[in-house]
Amino acid sequence: MNTTQRIAAQRYAVAYDALSTSSQEALRRQKDLHNAIKALAPAQNYLSSPRVSTAEKKGLVLSTLSSLPDTAAFIALLLDAKRFALLPAIEQQVQQLTDERLGIVRAEVSSAQILSPRQQEQTKEAIGQRYHARAEVTFNVNPQLLGGLKISCQGEEIDGTLQHQLEKLLKKISN
Amino acid sequence: MAIRPEEITSIIKQKIAQFDAQVDISETGTVIQVGDGIARVHGLKNVKSSELVDFGNGVQGMALNLEYDNVGCVLMGPDHLVHEGDIVKRTGKVISIGVSSQMIGRVVNPLGKPLDGKGEITAEKTMPLDIVAPGIIDRQPVKQPLQTGIKAIDAMIPIGKGQRELIIGDRQTGKTAIAVDAIINQKNIPEKERCICIYVAVGQKQSTVAQVIKTLSDFGAMDYTVVVSATASDPASLLYIAPYAGCAIGEYFMWQGKDVLIVYDDLSKHAQAYREMSLLLRRPPGREAYPGDVFYLHSRLLERACKLSNENGGGSLTALPIIETQANDVSAYIPTNVISITDGQIYLESNLFLSGIKPAINVGLSVSRVGGSAQRKMMRKVAGTLRIDLSQYQELAGFAQFGSELDKESQRQIARGKRMTELLKQHQYTPLKVGEEVWVLYAGTHGYLDTVPVEQVQAYEKQLLAFLHAQHAKALEELQQANELTEELEQKMVQILEEFKTVFKEA
Repeated sequence: MNTTQRIAAQRYAVAYDALSTSSQEALRRQKDLHNAIKALAPAQNYLSSPRVSTAEKKGLVLSTLSSLPDTAAFIALLLDAKRFALLPAIEQQVQQLTDERLGIVRAEVSSAQILSPRQQEQTKEAIGQRYHARAEVTFNVNPQLLGGLKISCQGEEIDGTLQHQLEKLLKKISN
Repeated sequence: MAIRPEEITSIIKQKIAQFDAQVDISETGTVIQVGDGIARVHGLKNVKSSELVDFGNGVQGMALNLEYDNVGCVLMGPDHLVHEGDIVKRTGKVISIGVSSQMIGRVVNPLGKPLDGKGEITAEKTMPLDIVAPGIIDRQPVKQPLQTGIKAIDAMIPIGKGQRELIIGDRQTGKTAIAVDAIINQKNIPEKERCICIYVAVGQKQSTVAQVIKTLSDFGAMDYTVVVSATASDPASLLYIAPYAGCAIGEYFMWQGKDVLIVYDDLSKHAQAYREMSLLLRRPPGREAYPGDVFYLHSRLLERACKLSNENGGGSLTALPIIETQANDVSAYIPTNVISITDGQIYLESNLFLSGIKPAINVGLSVSRVGGSAQRKMMRKVAGTLRIDLSQYQELAGFAQFGSELDKESQRQIARGKRMTELLKQHQYTPLKVGEEVWVLYAGTHGYLDTVPVEQVQAYEKQLLAFLHAQHAKALEELQQANELTEELEQKMVQILEEFKTVFKEA
């Protein structure tokens, strides 16, 4: 995706988010969008095909998403503007905007071994404290890290892994 | 020197003991688009302009465009190692180069990595590539001559240490040859006054660079030369930083009080590389599709050439930028820019080159704005009116072509002009010592050649130099050391030249 498309996706996401008057409504709409994308996934090729007319595509969207009229209208608008391909990026941006409204930070934590539930809870708490928000954490296991944790959150990487320390030590010795 | 294993073990143990394990926090971004040596990164909110960023896989980049929701970076390595979604880390450092006196005699790339397979270079200091040039207080006027060994230049377009003299001309007119000759000539200069030379190849063919390196090695000039090479096959980003890297290396020596001569070969290709990068970064194109700051690109580079004040060690950085013109058009964008930045230009013409005048310097259009005050007094005395005389000769020669009848004085001027033009011809890789130059030019300007047929002028010069070396080496050396042409010296010269008249044999 190029920069222009990114900016366009961001503008659509802001417009979609602006429909909500409260945080709860924003969360509902974000879930609606997520469910809509899921529901339309089998028809992805059909909706992207240039051989199918926009009217036919819109017809399919409105009939599939009859229970989500607002979201269906939004996707129909994207079809009209030939911006349907931006939908995954828009969803991502909408999620970020909703997280901001709800005071959530999303983090990814990598460790060499699976963390115990207590360790996971402690990590979540520490992240929440650092970023002054509620942390939604995804835990990954990467044995190459050897030990320690690597946290990626809000465009920041906190690396306290043994692998990183050894790399630094190697650099220091070779210098 | 033998290295004992236990010593290495103890050093490693010591380093491990001193190692402070800390958690590293770095600001990251994500690659959203990559291609053509450019990457766009989302994130890196606090990144600074010209900051070095790490793309992983050993590829680094430089943040150049700080935009609303992304950062445009130029990659310093192959772009196929960078993928969409890759994590990019800030380094907090501006782009810099590790410099060292070990670089002398070596060929390095613009990042300071050796290219000649002669082993690693241990950096003594790290110098930022792009710094602000020394201010007025830090400088002193250009006052020492920089001998190129080329008669025409040393006599008529003298270059001073700390000057910026542009070499401009079409392709195949001998621009690089002049710069290489100036480097080779440093061998003729006592070590104390000799310049450390830096040859920066920007966008040249690898074969051309290899040829230059071979020539310099053959003449023993690599002993005091550093070659910074960014060839045509390197990414535009490396071509862009190459002159700055060369300049940073030069400044390292300059601040040690040494004299440095740097050749940028050539800045046309440098501007083209910058244009390529700017267009890919979607910066607005201006005249000839160059970005608006292309003047600043070269002015900030060439402003760094200077003669430092004695308090700062008195070192100097003399720049010889080269510009390639198209069809002798000096009014194109980049040539006019660089002409206005530099302290003079040596203008080479393909017509002169093809008519056998080598170096093909157009005397009328070439000028040195500050070098005159740096010229040795004896050279100024001998060649003072040479430039005007030659210009007048060229004007008169134009008239003579129409078959107009000329008075005696004009005929004399034409005859002298023809001989002086012949005398100023010089073969490549044969730089002369200043004493030899003065002797030869004295003979020309004082009428000793007037009786010699034009086609015998070069034979006269050759025989005169051989005669001086064989019979009057002491007088030649005396002139070489002298600054001023005293009456006593002049009398001796006249005497020897009279003596040579009887010895000279036409070839």
